[in-house]
Amino acid sequence: MTRGIDLSRPVLVAVAALLAVMIVLPVGWLLVVSLTSKEGGFTLANFATLFTDPTFVDPLVTTLIISCSVSAICCLVAAPLGWLVARTDMPLARTIRTLVMASLVTPPFVGAIAWEMLAAPNSGLLNQLWRLLSGMPPDEALFDIYSLGGLIFVISCYTFPYVFILVANALDRMPGELEDASSMLGAKTWQTARLITVPLALPTLLAGALVAFLQALNLFGSPAILAIPAGFHTLTTRIWSLFQFPPKPELAAAASVPLLVLTVLLLRAQAMALGRRGYAVLGGKYGAPRPIRLGWLRVPAVILALFVLAMPLFLPYAALFNSAFSRVASRIVGPDTITLHNVKFTFLELSSTMPALKNTFLLATASATLGALLALMIAYIVARKAMRGYRVLGFLATAPLAIPGIVLGVGLFLAYTRPPLALYGTLWILLIAFVTIELPAAYQQLGSAFHAVHPELEEAGRMLGATRLRTLADITAPLLRSAVIATWCFIFVATIRELSAAVILFTSETKVLSVLIFDLKESGDVGAIAVLSLTMVAITTIVIAAANRLHARPQARPA
Amino acid sequence: MAAVELKGLSKRYGAAVAVDDVSLRVEHGQLVCLLGPSGCGKTTTLRLIAGFIEPSAGEIEVGGKVLSSPSRTVPPEGRKMSMIFQSYALWPHMTVAENVAYGLKIRKLDRATIDAKLKAILSTARLEALADRYPGELSGGQQQRVSLARALVVEPETLLLDEPLSNLDANLREEMRFEIRRLHDQYRYTTVYVTHDQAEAMTTADLIAVMNKGRVEQLGPPEEIYTRPRSEFVARFIGGSNVLAATALDEVRVSVAGGALRTTGRSLSAGRPVAVSVRQHEIGIALEPPSSGAENHLQGTVTRQVFLGSTRDYTVTLADGTELRVTAPPGRNIAPGQSVWLHLPAEQCRALAEE
Repeated sequence: MTRGIDLSRPVLVAVAALLAVMIVLPVGWLLVVSLTSKEGGFTLANFATLFTDPTFVDPLVTTLIISCSVSAICCLVAAPLGWLVARTDMPLARTIRTLVMASLVTPPFVGAIAWEMLAAPNSGLLNQLWRLLSGMPPDEALFDIYSLGGLIFVISCYTFPYVFILVANALDRMPGELEDASSMLGAKTWQTARLITVPLALPTLLAGALVAFLQALNLFGSPAILAIPAGFHTLTTRIWSLFQFPPKPELAAAASVPLLVLTVLLLRAQAMALGRRGYAVLGGKYGAPRPIRLGWLRVPAVILALFVLAMPLFLPYAALFNSAFSRVASRIVGPDTITLHNVKFTFLELSSTMPALKNTFLLATASATLGALLALMIAYIVARKAMRGYRVLGFLATAPLAIPGIVLGVGLFLAYTRPPLALYGTLWILLIAFVTIELPAAYQQLGSAFHAVHPELEEAGRMLGATRLRTLADITAPLLRSAVIATWCFIFVATIRELSAAVILFTSETKVLSVLIFDLKESGDVGAIAVLSLTMVAITTIVIAAANRLHARPQARPA
Repeated sequence: MAAVELKGLSKRYGAAVAVDDVSLRVEHGQLVCLLGPSGCGKTTTLRLIAGFIEPSAGEIEVGGKVLSSPSRTVPPEGRKMSMIFQSYALWPHMTVAENVAYGLKIRKLDRATIDAKLKAILSTARLEALADRYPGELSGGQQQRVSLARALVVEPETLLLDEPLSNLDANLREEMRFEIRRLHDQYRYTTVYVTHDQAEAMTTADLIAVMNKGRVEQLGPPEEIYTRPRSEFVARFIGGSNVLAATALDEVRVSVAGGALRTTGRSLSAGRPVAVSVRQHEIGIALEPPSSGAENHLQGTVTRQVFLGSTRDYTVTLADGTELRVTAPPGRNIAPGQSVWLHLPAEQCRALAEE
């Protein structure tokens, strides 16, 4: 280890203190407040209310129903689609894979808004189309998006891509020879699929099911948009409603605890599912898998895939563009009726647009910079075991993964509305929230980047006489540059889309874009909502495209 | 069991030719090695035989039946073959016993037969104690034996091996070479074996097909390949040979580095350039000049000498700068810088085919 001044202790203390401010304090206050009565004494009454009052029990049950259904639907859709894309000779497989990834660019609450435009019982474009075709009276509707089924459908639309990516990647990495060996022993294609491919992919699918469950469990935007008009609550919207006047933070804190506990448990289960590893790669080079011939099924398969993609991608974006450029959102826009009125209104007349955009860019830039730096520091310390206690740092940096956004929002609210750090009402509290939420993913990205830079590359520099800092600057930094930039972009994008913590923590002075869109829902200005949503998606797409370009540049790969 | 016959087999990927007009007959019960450097088309040839890929031209016949042709290819599962993969391709979610019994279950044999066959093969492969282990819990050599057992238990008509030993360490590799030959002698399957290791090919094969750039350069028993290489590529690839650039003087003699050599192998036409190969350990090295009139002697200077235990390895530079490697008995030590006479026996100087 290094000689000279030992900086490790101060750095460790500083980083640990920072993480404590970000994680330990909010979660601590959350637990304390949930166990405190109005008079300040210890009580379990909040939890008693939680598990007896139907206004809490019903949302809990609803949330579990939604999560289970979403999880099942995602697996049923994503597994066959992932298999088609990764393992068969379906046409356009590459395009479809890219489009599924692209559908992740859509923030779920924007998707929910778009589906309102499509399938609201009266004004929904699909329902209008149906009435036009069938001649049904105006009070008849084919779809009602304001329903439990509608909500489950919309959440599934924006969750199945996660499962899809897991499954497709696992199938990509599964050595083709494992299937070839089965064919050589006389197994027919479908026997090989049943006896070899499916059992090997099962742990991944299980992990995917848990990811989908978690996603549905902790989502705030879509239920807030679709469930509340339908007259029911999920756990997250119920917690949010406790912050509406008159606020009941102690109940919100108590209601956050089951969400926190469930998330921790599910994450452990997921780690176990993936940790057993579908297969041990046993040395040697594996051949790429042979694609399965679909024959006459090729065309039906690709039509099915495109139909699935219409749900999260084609239909919602058609609806958003329609609303953005139409004077009346519920009419289909034609060449005569197309207008820039909504764009003008949103950017020139709506007084809250510019402050929100400014706040959003400020926060996204600051969160991305701070988050990437923090993650880089922790990743270096952990990857190179640069100081004692590095494991603790790694654990703390991963911990926020287990804290749902809305729960962190509640915790931060409770921790920073009181001295010594009364940050509520400032942008700082949002900065802390965003950095905390994005830290685990950023740390994992940079951690694996450090793994790819073999320590021997640094040691070779040291042996030739460069100091530790010099090798870091000359060798490690250039090799990591694109990973750091990618992480920065990732945090930037994630911050722009974040709603569930922001919706608890914003004040009228600190509105951000996502909250503005959510707020406009109340006033019902669909045109402005569509314009702002498309703006958000456009910014996201540009940043992601830029990051991809940087990442795709020829990079020295470790030999 | 049946003979495997490749007839004018070719495989093209766009403009690239992976296998180029290969014809080869593997007799019933024979073990043929496809030997060559990476990229020579040997693995593609094997995968063509297995039915994983379709030929662009030519046919593959097994036991007189056409299994592969550009118009129709029987899928791998319909070929009654077994294959051993470089990575072993053991299924990590099945135990050793389940892996080995898989092919028997696919063949819908009854429980008792499966158990009996499983027991027999596990004992032959010395795997009884490991039957309930998972592949991840086995060493490389054990995985290799499971892979062998899984391929053999179904009693295939044809056995294919794709670089089966390349993932083992040196000691184990040598042991397994003999193991594979022993199992072959016991079961006598028609076997095609792909490797880039000439020692592996020498120990195991009845016939070696040396491949280069998608073509079979030379086909013959190991001894013939070793002693009578037909092309410069084979001479260099099999190793231990010097290849000299010479010019033909008449039908049998060539001039090289100011001396003359009598050669065998083919008749030459005077004035043409010709490559001559001669094995390192066939060359005699002496301090004394040969008696006058003696043929096939060249003078040179020792430029390097290495003691290798059982032999001594010399590098000798001739008058025109040509370097020759000479393997000599270790007893006599000639220091670098000494002038020496080399004897290249005429029957060991092979004139190689023109490239």
